[in-house]
Amino acid sequence: MLFAPIGEQGQRILMNRSVLIVGMGALGTVLANHMVRSGIGRVRMVDRDYVEPSNLQRQMLFDEEDAEQGLPKVIAARNKLARINSSVELEAVFTDATPENIAGLLEGVDLVLDGTDNFETRFLLNDACFREGVPFLYGGAVSSRGMTALFIPGQTPCLRCLIQSADSGGQTCDTIGVISPIVDIVASYQAAEALKFLVGAADKRRSSLLTLDIWNNQYYEMKLGRAKDSCPCCGLRQYPALERKADDLLSLCGRESVQVSGHEPFDLDIWSGRLAPAVKSVKLNPYLLRAELSEGERLVLFADGRVLVQGTSDIIRAKTLYARYIGS
Amino acid sequence: MELIINGSLRELEAENLAEVVGLLGLTGKPVAAEADGQIVSSEEWKQMAVRPGMRIELVHFVGGG
Ligand SMILES: [Zn+2]
Repeated sequence: MLFAPIGEQGQRILMNRSVLIVGMGALGTVLANHMVRSGIGRVRMVDRDYVEPSNLQRQMLFDEEDAEQGLPKVIAARNKLARINSSVELEAVFTDATPENIAGLLEGVDLVLDGTDNFETRFLLNDACFREGVPFLYGGAVSSRGMTALFIPGQTPCLRCLIQSADSGGQTCDTIGVISPIVDIVASYQAAEALKFLVGAADKRRSSLLTLDIWNNQYYEMKLGRAKDSCPCCGLRQYPALERKADDLLSLCGRESVQVSGHEPFDLDIWSGRLAPAVKSVKLNPYLLRAELSEGERLVLFADGRVLVQGTSDIIRAKTLYARYIGS
Repeated sequence: MELIINGSLRELEAENLAEVVGLLGLTGKPVAAEADGQIVSSEEWKQMAVRPGMRIELVHFVGGG
């Protein structure tokens, strides 16, 4: 490591650090790439989704073969990252981050990097991080706009101090799009702050919320100020996202997909045999099963018991298909 | 009155910050606000009177990724 502010000693420190990246989409793949090439000791990645052709425009660790096989994003990412730096311990966790499992995911982690694509998961991360005392490095990008801030329990405000609403007004990457440069830029800012934090360069930390619009040439830094006394997390020590139960039925915004959870784990081989006679086609890999339905939709069964109904955003329709093929 | 919103001069008729946010169609959205360099939390928007020439920054949080 020639960069003096990190140096030999910093490199050794990084080797003993551990990060959690939640979401392995556009931001998450750039984050993982930076963390692994920087030689962070352990990188844990969590994501609930699998690689599809539409991801390839902006999700840098994936290729056409991953999409063809329908590999889980965390598995495809791990496969690629292991070839980039074999000294990094990589942990791929193929599941949804939920109020039930988030404490386990945070265990032994020095910093949480936000690679998610929705506010619901961000509030979950924020609340869990502030309860457990783990810093949370927020990042978001949509259209040509992006933002990032490092929230440190006990030192800075949290996400809930700054915003109360989680209503993105339907503006997601899947509805209004995103151009890949802003993704790389935001994730790279996050990665730089992560390195500063992990190596202990506290005096170099950016203590602002950075907002960028690379199409309209705007750049703004808002001072974070102090944590709010009225904030549920910082003031009242309540963590709303951890107290609610995860929804069994979740329409994934802009994705024409409904996720149904609550089933016990699937034995995918058995289900492959069971569904094959009833549907147009079945594709199986060790992690998931894709069934093309004659109705036009697609069912994706995950070993952890989740089912994704693709091709509809209507929860009732998804329930009907679920009942028809999986049971109730 | 004239306000400087996110660096641009805007002509808006508003008494307080909550009205400014409303006129821009941002009520209920994940927005953080700063008035003359000071962050103002959403509970205080109604009490925060605006005056001509005030510099207001409204940061609309981005949820994608
Ligand atoms: Zn807070």
